[in-house]
Amino acid sequence: MGISRQAFEDQALALLGSLSRVARRLTANPADAEDLVAETVARAWRALDSLKTEVAFRAWIFSILHNTFVSELRRADARPRLVSVECDEAEEEEVQFSIFEQMHQPFLLWFSNPEQAFLDKLLREDLERALASLPEHHRVVVVLSDLEELTYGEIAEALGIPVGTVRSRLARARGALQKILWQQAREYGLDAVAPASREGSDGGTDAPRQAAAGAIVPKEKGLIP
Amino acid sequence: MTKHEIECEQALRQVFEYIDHVLDDTERAAMEHHLHTCQSCYSRVEFEGRLKAKLGELKKYDADPTARERIKKLLESF
Repeated sequence: MGISRQAFEDQALALLGSLSRVARRLTANPADAEDLVAETVARAWRALDSLKTEVAFRAWIFSILHNTFVSELRRADARPRLVSVECDEAEEEEVQFSIFEQMHQPFLLWFSNPEQAFLDKLLREDLERALASLPEHHRVVVVLSDLEELTYGEIAEALGIPVGTVRSRLARARGALQKILWQQAREYGLDAVAPASREGSDGGTDAPRQAAAGAIVPKEKGLIP
Repeated sequence: MTKHEIECEQALRQVFEYIDHVLDDTERAAMEHHLHTCQSCYSRVEFEGRLKAKLGELKKYDADPTARERIKKLLESF
């Protein structure tokens, strides 16, 4: 056994919030997420011999969480809400979408900074919706990297892929996320939602639904083609 | 151009690795030198860094894990 029972309990409880957040974003369902975390902890306990050192605990238990999620998906893949976790890196877009490249206007810097204005108007709801829209293999790398702050090495270990694949998949995932955010902006930005209704609501939990619906509204003339 | 200088094309390839802190010391120094001299690449890094930070803030709003008591009981059963 790599670590003591007490160390296992301490580590598992310390990571419970992180495991729960990832599970919620994988399953998109609080009850399924809770079951996934419980099953992960149970499997981790049974597989404790495979843990080499306590330092590797985080990547190790996330690998069990991800494997458990994937095996549950495959077992229940007839359920329509479940999406495929398979991906073919070669078939994905080589040129990554970039909001910055869409918006940056170097000759207008003295006048405005549209890409920064875009970020200023981005609400939590916009990001959650875009994140939820990503395919699972993209969502999981963004969540592990940008929310849970795992290193590339830990993500590689957790997902069972090489570090180079983490690097390229994360870049594609961020491009895909930005493409969704851009599409949301175009979709909602064309409908008039008063910018004043959004002021001070960045990151808030109680933003009016209609404000959230128009959350990304780069309304300055000419901002959206 | 010295061996430690890079141009926009390489800087743009390394933006994510820069904000993820995975460049080695030499690569990081070359990147930062370029960012001091290139407004466009600096703005790109600033944009990607802010977007990453906004994603990181999502976790602040997640509810406490409802499974804590269930997991504690599970651990006690081992």
